[in-house]
Amino acid sequence: MNTLNEQQLNELQKDLDTIRDEVLADLGERDANHIRSMVRLHRKLEIGGRVLMPFGFIPPVFLAATASLGLAKILENMEIGHNVMHGQYDWMNDPSLNSQTYEWDTACSSESWRRTHNFEHHTYTNVIGKDRDYGYAVLRLSNDEPWRPRHTFQILNYAALSILFQWGVALHELEAEKLSHGKSHLKEKRPFLKLAAKKAGRQAFKDYVFFPVLTLPVAPIVLAGNAVANLIRNLWSSTVIFCGHFTQDAETFTEEQAEGESKGHWYLRQLTGSSNFTGGKWLHIMSGHLSFQIEHHVFPDLPAHRYPEISEKVQKVCQKHGIHYNTGSFGKQYGTVLKRILRHSLPERITRRPAVA
Amino acid sequence: MLAKITQSKTLHWLGRQLSNSEDPRAFFDPLTAAMNPMWVQQYTPARVERITAETADTKTFELRPANRWGGFKAGQHLNIRIDIQGVRRTRTFSLSSSPALWESRGLITLTIKRLPGGLVTNWLHDDLKAGDVIGLTEAFGDFLIPVEKKPVLFIAGGSGITPILSQLETMALGNYPEPVTLLYYVRTPNDVIGKEKLAALAARHPDFSLDVITTHESSTPRYLNDHDLDSIPNLAAREIYLCGPKGLMDLATEKLRQRDIKAEQLHSTFFAPPAPAQISSSDIGGQVTFSASNLSVDSIGDANLLEMAEAAGLTPQHGCRMGICHQCTCTKTSGTVVNRLTGQVSGPGSESVQLCISIPQGPVALDI
Ligand code: FES
Repeated sequence: MNTLNEQQLNELQKDLDTIRDEVLADLGERDANHIRSMVRLHRKLEIGGRVLMPFGFIPPVFLAATASLGLAKILENMEIGHNVMHGQYDWMNDPSLNSQTYEWDTACSSESWRRTHNFEHHTYTNVIGKDRDYGYAVLRLSNDEPWRPRHTFQILNYAALSILFQWGVALHELEAEKLSHGKSHLKEKRPFLKLAAKKAGRQAFKDYVFFPVLTLPVAPIVLAGNAVANLIRNLWSSTVIFCGHFTQDAETFTEEQAEGESKGHWYLRQLTGSSNFTGGKWLHIMSGHLSFQIEHHVFPDLPAHRYPEISEKVQKVCQKHGIHYNTGSFGKQYGTVLKRILRHSLPERITRRPAVA
Repeated sequence: MLAKITQSKTLHWLGRQLSNSEDPRAFFDPLTAAMNPMWVQQYTPARVERITAETADTKTFELRPANRWGGFKAGQHLNIRIDIQGVRRTRTFSLSSSPALWESRGLITLTIKRLPGGLVTNWLHDDLKAGDVIGLTEAFGDFLIPVEKKPVLFIAGGSGITPILSQLETMALGNYPEPVTLLYYVRTPNDVIGKEKLAALAARHPDFSLDVITTHESSTPRYLNDHDLDSIPNLAAREIYLCGPKGLMDLATEKLRQRDIKAEQLHSTFFAPPAPAQISSSDIGGQVTFSASNLSVDSIGDANLLEMAEAAGLTPQHGCRMGICHQCTCTKTSGTVVNRLTGQVSGPGSESVQLCISIPQGPVALDI
């Protein structure tokens, strides 16, 4: 972690607060129009996908229907659900875009997500042992965690996690790793399990029971199409999220480092623990602007479509304070994520470069 | 009937499963709103038919609500719902037309005075145009004309006349058999709202007497006095209705109490524009009511709402306690709060606030 002294940290805080205040002062119709147009697009994509799916026995229609439904789910989860639940649009005072009541189209209930993601992950970003998003408790992604033989084939765990991503996120709060170590008991998790079962049941009912049954003669096609749409969304969101914190240069922190930190220090940790990727407008929208993960972590409650326009200011602040702004093309960033997963599959004594004699 | 209820319950359940929303109608609303705002289901849309000036600072807005709107009784109000610069605002206004107009022609009117510095009233006056669509709630309120026919006295001040216009017209249409008197206090003759309507009612109905009293025509204001009340025949037998600025309401209530008017005879509806908010540490603090938990506490110093709720033994959802995670967001139903981070003062109506960074400014009610 970069070392800035207290005065520098205060200055960093001031610089970033200035950017934040400028955006806050300017919030208005433009932001409302953006999120409402995203919601309209989502409705069109979802309705389009649902209507076309029963005609999926014609192969090109099957492609169009699954693509439409898959894109709908991606858009809803990333640009709408994730951002609304961060409170980015609470100021609009619109009950359908309120962070506390919004329920998104994925297996994880909003209530559980607000605890594990909004609070845990955003408060303890990349603090090993406290941020359970770091490796999702199934991957070893830094030297801070001791190597165990089970890590050897973790690339397979990663593949499984990506494919089943929505279910992984849904069960995140269960803290299965603590259960298996006897550090917590299933009994304490009962309220969570009830909530999770209800939400997961609703999602499964919709995609795997209701719509297939409704279109009975072609039920298998609808069932398959819905499953593929969910898969597309799972793979994409997992990939985007892994690019946010697990790239080569994204830093990790110890609990001591994060203890009793000042706001400026917290900002510094968000800046250095996150990573961006570059791309066009629609790549950003489809990733819920998590392609601007750095800006998102510094300002989680500013409307995400503002991140591209404030990114330059954030970069200038980073330059001024000598902080590495971690960005690169989508391909390059994802490459370093895979490398990180592979490298930490093996103990350091193997992966460390031999010392030059 | 039962079949209908079970059916709609089942439909609601199904809608929730499919759209993940407590209000499944919200799923299609974004699309239908773009096609035709009158098709929105989450609230009652109403089209502005006509806007007419009553006085220099008061306009009457004639609205045509969607058919499913439930109607109202004379003297009731409703909330309107509009978006100003991306922010949804709700405000309460009295209906100034008679229910008969709604029943016969599907129209209602709201008569609204421009408040100095008022965000919503000024927007309504300056930006709302005929043909626009705004949102409405169902009507509410119990400022209602007597079911049992009795002599009536109305005391109105300024734009407090609006619900009374609806009541007078309704009584006239029903040929109200008892004497009705209106004491109407306005600053100058130019401030009379519903001038023609009132004059016509007075001309047509000998049982209706109208007394317009101007308060600011001479150098010393002329407020309600004992003489005004002495001139009302049979005052003790009347049902009395008060609506106007707080000063007038307090004065009238006090004078009527002195004359042994029973509380049951007195009907009033609160009507006072909120004082313009100022940011200063001296006017911070006030009683906070947690309505869902039936608790009320007084704030100490610049304590935020989250601290106050916790001190009161409540456990509202929260996380970072520094304004980042929005876990503590909840609905403020009335009162104003100051945002500790921005120094910004909220509006007086219903809106979401973050408990951990909101400081009460005067009495505040929260939906927790
Ligand atoms: S507790 Fe986090 S925003 Fe209030």
